Amino acid sequence: MSLETLRPSPAFADVLPIEYRDLVEHGPYNNRGGDQSKQTIKVTDMGKFKEVIEEHPMCAGCAMTLFIRLVYIGMPNPEHTIVVGTAGCGRLAISQASVPFIYGNYGDTNAVASGLKRGLEVRFPDQKKDVVVMAGDGGLIDIGFQGLMHSWFRKENFTTIMLDNEVYGNTGGQESGMTNQGKVLKMAPRGKFGEKVDALGLAKVAGVDYIARLAPTNPARVARTVRRAIMVAREVGHSYIQAYTSCNIEYSIPTPDVMKDAFEIEKERYGFEEIISPAAKAYLDEVEKKPKKKKSD
Amino acid sequence: MLIQDNLFLTRSNPSGNGGVQFLYRVKDYGLSALSGPQEEISMIHWEVEVIKFKDPKTAEFEISHTTELADKTLKFYSDKSLNEFIQKAFQYFEELDSLEKMLPNESQQS
Amino acid sequence: MANVKGSSVCRTATDEGKPADWVPGGEKQTVVDPMKMFHELPREKLFITGSEAARESMRRANIDIAIAYPITPQSESMQQAGYLYDEGYIKEYYRAEEEIGTFSAISGASRAGVRSLTATSGPGLMRGMEAISSWPGARTPIIMLNMCRVINTPLAIQPDNIEMSFMLNTGILLLHAENQQDFYDYPLAAIMASEQVDVTLPAVVSVDGFFCTHARGPVEVTPEEYKLPPRDGWRSAVPAMDNENPPARISRDAPIQKSNFISYHMHSSWQQEVFAAVERSAKYFDKYLGGLIEVVNPDAEDFIIASGCAVSQAREAVRQEGEQGRTVGLVKVKSIRPFPTEQILDAVKGAKRILVPEFNQAGWLHKELCAVLYGRCNAVIKDGPRVFGGMTMPTEMVLEWLAEFRKEVK
Repeated sequence: MSLETLRPSPAFADVLPIEYRDLVEHGPYNNRGGDQSKQTIKVTDMGKFKEVIEEHPMCAGCAMTLFIRLVYIGMPNPEHTIVVGTAGCGRLAISQASVPFIYGNYGDTNAVASGLKRGLEVRFPDQKKDVVVMAGDGGLIDIGFQGLMHSWFRKENFTTIMLDNEVYGNTGGQESGMTNQGKVLKMAPRGKFGEKVDALGLAKVAGVDYIARLAPTNPARVARTVRRAIMVAREVGHSYIQAYTSCNIEYSIPTPDVMKDAFEIEKERYGFEEIISPAAKAYLDEVEKKPKKKKSD
Repeated sequence: MLIQDNLFLTRSNPSGNGGVQFLYRVKDYGLSALSGPQEEISMIHWEVEVIKFKDPKTAEFEISHTTELADKTLKFYSDKSLNEFIQKAFQYFEELDSLEKMLPNESQQS
Repeated sequence: MANVKGSSVCRTATDEGKPADWVPGGEKQTVVDPMKMFHELPREKLFITGSEAARESMRRANIDIAIAYPITPQSESMQQAGYLYDEGYIKEYYRAEEEIGTFSAISGASRAGVRSLTATSGPGLMRGMEAISSWPGARTPIIMLNMCRVINTPLAIQPDNIEMSFMLNTGILLLHAENQQDFYDYPLAAIMASEQVDVTLPAVVSVDGFFCTHARGPVEVTPEEYKLPPRDGWRSAVPAMDNENPPARISRDAPIQKSNFISYHMHSSWQQEVFAAVERSAKYFDKYLGGLIEVVNPDAEDFIIASGCAVSQAREAVRQEGEQGRTVGLVKVKSIRPFPTEQILDAVKGAKRILVPEFNQAGWLHKELCAVLYGRCNAVIKDGPRVFGGMTMPTEMVLEWLAEFRKEVK
């Protein structure tokens, strides 16, 4: 919650739950002295500090869980962030985070986020509130497609993160729009008919300002990409991250081999890629490189 | 807004087609001004009838196309033009009433 | 929002072409106590369409955000909302992709803690029903204007309020406006009731579309320099999703997201609370609307109970019966949810015959009345006349049904 709104009296500091104190004193809730583009916690220190998400009921070896933890570490300002999701595996972990989570109806994420973000802009003109949609491939590219596309066309100031496990994991392994052609899954008994939807291409056509594709093979890069996406959404336009988060259950990946699979798929067809609009590039240069002279527009 | 003088009754269109009917009454004569729904809002207008009441107390009337005011249903596209007509009609109805009162007297005399 | 150079996103009034010294209309208005607005402020009589009445209501409602998708006969009103946005009476506004998107977005806006308005008609309502039916459980105060229209095949755009029956058991507050005047007054009352802490629910004001939205009627409005108090995002049964409060438990607890005993228990107690909140709203509507029902000729033996447009037709039938020396009573049901059971029972305690005319095929009001009056009232309750699909209900029709009823039930 907002550190400004709920600032505990120092006299009560020692009776506050240890989890809260850890988040503020040693975790991502840390006050970054106004420079939100910089992280004071390091991904390489994972395990040594209190995370926004700690307990979760996800399957052992789930790559999606690792990715979600990294997203929360990458958030520039988790104490002013709201996450929106929909039905799917991801929400079982996302709902456990110390960041408010809106679990809406099927496929409504990007519409809810549009209204939410605009409402927050009206209500808090002096405090940026980051809105992040984090939902599965099915929730976004199938049932949520229309809302997804229109939020992109409208350049809504929030971030969409697709947890692409290329399957409907939570309902038991049906093929989705993001499944590769020919893959045999439930509801595709003869192999998936069509090609994997080119969501990155759609994002490009729709004019999304910051587009990234990655696999959770490089944790520091995931956190950095998330931070960049959220910063762009805050000031420039929309941002979209598509992450390969394999389903080791439905794709029968042995638990110890989950990361091996991620490296293989990354090499084969899911390499890191960033597509940045000129406006987003100019903004990122400004906040990341700190040029000596500020442009006077 | 329409003139409120001599307004005898305001009711929803009794035909059930939606809209409002204003009934004006000056003695036995009056006006029915009806404004109904239109698919294009700019086409909303007034349909006006000169009416003659059947009974001094109730709103029962028949449409009169025999006065000098109107021999048919009149259409008005603005409140202003209708209000001008209403004023004129009130005056006419007053005159008509005094004229009609004179008629039986004349017949009694003859 | 100040964007870096080169971005095509326009988010501020200046971005969208307003001069730097522009003062939004809403900022020139003065906040007034709702009871003063509803009952004390002087009123000017206008002769305007239902859509224009909705606009005047929205102008005074201190709306933060309005989102809608056009559909006949709603579009006229939401275009007007667009002009109000342009004039600065509504702070944020956009045309959404379609109704699921609209009603999801408006629930997002309400979760941000701001006053949120949308509107729809028949088929649009049905399209967005999944989102709409989730509003009460999410405890999102939202105001929705609903201009009723035929929903089922074959297509028509005429008034038919069958769609209201789909909202009866959602936990939504539901008012039914009779005419243009009600369509001005009810949304203002509904907003204030829906945002009370012990209510915190969405509210829908339905009106029989076309006859009311696309026709002019007399409307008495309060001075436009006064507006309702703003929504206070901190006063709410559940916290806004603004990350200024601890997150609401409904989205935190893992057990309620899986099928187990705790989730069943959680859901049922949550729903009980939603429907209890609907009942708690009655005291506010009673105050704001001057009663949940209106009664004409309370001592009559014959009663007509109606809501919406059917009230106007019944009113004229009652007047004509009066001209013939017969006293017929009328109960206008202003609020469908909460349903004013006790008030209706009290109003018709001396009744012998109750006629329920409706603008829909299913006769949902008749069914509601039968359900609550059964065993508690001696009158015979007759359903009809019923018109639908755009058919009209002439006064004569109501009179014929009354005459027939008197023959049937001596």
